[in-house]
Amino acid sequence: MKTGGNFTFLYCLMLLCQIVLCNFSPFGPYIVLTMLPAMIFCMPLSISMISCMFIAFGSGLAVDWLSEGLIGINAASLVPVALARKSIVKMFFGEDLITRGDSFSFNKFGTAKVSAALMSAIAIFLLFYVMLDGAGTRPMWFNLAYFGASLVCNWLLALLVTHLLTPDDRK
Amino acid sequence: MQKSNVIYHLIIAAIFILLEVAALNMLRNNGRLQNIWISKCTHAVMGTVWGSSQEVKQYFSLKTRNAALAQDNHDLRVRLAELEAMISDGGTAGKSVPSDGIAGGFRYTPATIVKISNNTQHNYIIIGKGSDDGITKGSGVITGKGAIGVIDAVSDNYSYARSFKNHEMNISARLGKEGAVGPMSWDGFSSAGAILKEIPHHVEFQPGDTVYTSGYSSIFPADIPLGTVGEAKIVNGATYDIKVTLFEDYGALRYVTVVDNLGKDEIKKLEEDER
Repeated sequence: MKTGGNFTFLYCLMLLCQIVLCNFSPFGPYIVLTMLPAMIFCMPLSISMISCMFIAFGSGLAVDWLSEGLIGINAASLVPVALARKSIVKMFFGEDLITRGDSFSFNKFGTAKVSAALMSAIAIFLLFYVMLDGAGTRPMWFNLAYFGASLVCNWLLALLVTHLLTPDDRK
Repeated sequence: MQKSNVIYHLIIAAIFILLEVAALNMLRNNGRLQNIWISKCTHAVMGTVWGSSQEVKQYFSLKTRNAALAQDNHDLRVRLAELEAMISDGGTAGKSVPSDGIAGGFRYTPATIVKISNNTQHNYIIIGKGSDDGITKGSGVITGKGAIGVIDAVSDNYSYARSFKNHEMNISARLGKEGAVGPMSWDGFSSAGAILKEIPHHVEFQPGDTVYTSGYSSIFPADIPLGTVGEAKIVNGATYDIKVTLFEDYGALRYVTVVDNLGKDEIKKLEEDER
């Protein structure tokens, strides 16, 4: 219960950080920095997919409303991450984790596996984000560069977020 | 258990679509570029969906369309026969337009094949029109691509026709529209093969020339295209036997026209009197 409370508190705190990050991004329009896919990915597996999608939608919308940018873009990009979350977990950590309602951590699965899973979640987010941001006006090379650079930066950010949000690593 | 699982997945899919549509709608209202792009994508998707649904609808209306086309074909064939009769009569006959599908001395009746045999040596066709529709024994069965058979027996609503793909069947055929005339019969083994016999040795022709009905029999009108000329061989040093590739695909036959020579009884009586 305490863990759940801690998670909610940390989640809200990170959401605020994300809003600040969106308003004062040091990279301008060339890299998108976001903690949102990692935050959704680190949600306890006991939370159902439907609830997770609503939380993702609400979080994305909150960031969109309270930061400069296109309203709806984060929400539209984050809901697919929530949808794919359990599939990614199943793919990288096995189905047992979902059955037990347990959580993953660096200690249990190692940095490589957790990183790969995070990269997948971020890639899904960026795929939608880059596509919707460009709206078919940008050349493919720019979109690929935008996607690649953002993927690397967000992976580093996601490692930090995961370290803070996963229970075993906070002990 | 499985059913509830399917329902759960359907609910998830529905919620996902709902949330995405809501987010994209907000995005559309807030970005000009996004507005244009999303509208374009929406129109493309709607166009594809609409196109597919139209294709499905058209597929299920094919039967009606085919029947309508068969009727059109029949009307055109009658009209063609009328015009041919008008030309041969020096432009006077066409002034009175014949009715009831009668033209050039023949009555034309459109019909649908209800049963067809193609794989024996004695093939037959059953058509969905009989004596109630004016079909009589000895009438011909044709399409735009050939003479198909001859009516042998008639009931109230159906008719039995001997198919051209039958050993006992001969059609009087002509090489080109002005060429030599000879009997043509099925070759007995291939689905589109026939042999045109008794073509005199001196007659010139080329592979690919078209073979038509001669109009000399009292069954079929003249100038119905039947097939194209292929290889030829001299028989008894006097006449050619010419291979003909038929135009009509008997495996795909569905709609035919029954032609009834209105003067056939008179011709028959005359022939019998002379004997």
